Amino acid sequence: MANLESGKGGIWAALRRPSAKYSLLSLLAIGFVSGLVFWGSFNTAMEASNRQEFCIGCHEMKNNVYEEYKYSIHYSNRTGVKAYCSDCHVPKDWTNKLIRKVKASYEVWGKITGKIDTKEKFEAHRLEMAEREWARMKASNSIECRNCHSFEAMSAELQKKIPYKKHMEAKAEGKTCIECHKGIAHRLPKGYKRPGADEE
Amino acid sequence: MKSFAAFVTTSALAMSAAGFSTTALALDVEAAKGLAEQNNCMQCHGLRKDKDGPSFLSTADKYRGKANAVDEIVKHMTSGKKVKLADGTQENHKVAKTIPPNDAAQLKNLAQYILSIQAK
Repeated sequence: MANLESGKGGIWAALRRPSAKYSLLSLLAIGFVSGLVFWGSFNTAMEASNRQEFCIGCHEMKNNVYEEYKYSIHYSNRTGVKAYCSDCHVPKDWTNKLIRKVKASYEVWGKITGKIDTKEKFEAHRLEMAEREWARMKASNSIECRNCHSFEAMSAELQKKIPYKKHMEAKAEGKTCIECHKGIAHRLPKGYKRPGADEE
Repeated sequence: MKSFAAFVTTSALAMSAAGFSTTALALDVEAAKGLAEQNNCMQCHGLRKDKDGPSFLSTADKYRGKANAVDEIVKHMTSGKKVKLADGTQENHKVAKTIPPNDAAQLKNLAQYILSIQAK
């Protein structure tokens, strides 16, 4: 305590002591460049972890959901517009992207502990994983879908009559994409039951 | 008469062993329901309730007992042909997709499931 007060020792004291050697301009310049390097590296890492190669870097993703996605319209279609993993599963805005990345780090724990390291184990947990992702999508008003699709841009002339009718009904009811469009890029989990299915 | 009954029983057992009468056993209801949900079939078809399209029960009643019923239903699901909607208009039927694509076994399983629907 005495050391801190006298400014002669301790890490905090050293940090608080004004520099006698470097000018304020030098310190600001070093801080600015360091900030740029840190920020650039951080964003580069964020973007790198958004790449498909990163997503399928583990066999749990590559052998299961990625294999199914390869047969979906979001992977291959007439016009060549492709949606990558992160386009549907990672928000675009910075704050929510960061939150998603932090949450995704729990998945690394699953990887380390081998919770879903075989097809059987993956299938056993598929429903709970899917339900978690559907809940996230519903809470975000299917923002990742809406980055490309919107009710307003749907053409009554170009879209089939029944889907158009259903979409306009959904819009009026305030429904969000994921409520009707589950399992469009991956197999629906075994045991999934659509609400209201029994009454039909 | 007794020998006829024995013949019928033996034949049934033999057919069963040969897999002829195992249609119901081979049916994977959960997989069929999953494929129907995956393709959003239930947006237009109820299980027993007509929507914009006929219910699965109506389809089952239409095809049940007919030769090639399964193939006919698969063709209906995959050819994208024009169908009549509840309001009288026509539209091309959605082409059902499977993972992997065009998996006849999955499509036939769904057709079998549709044929298995009974009135409550």
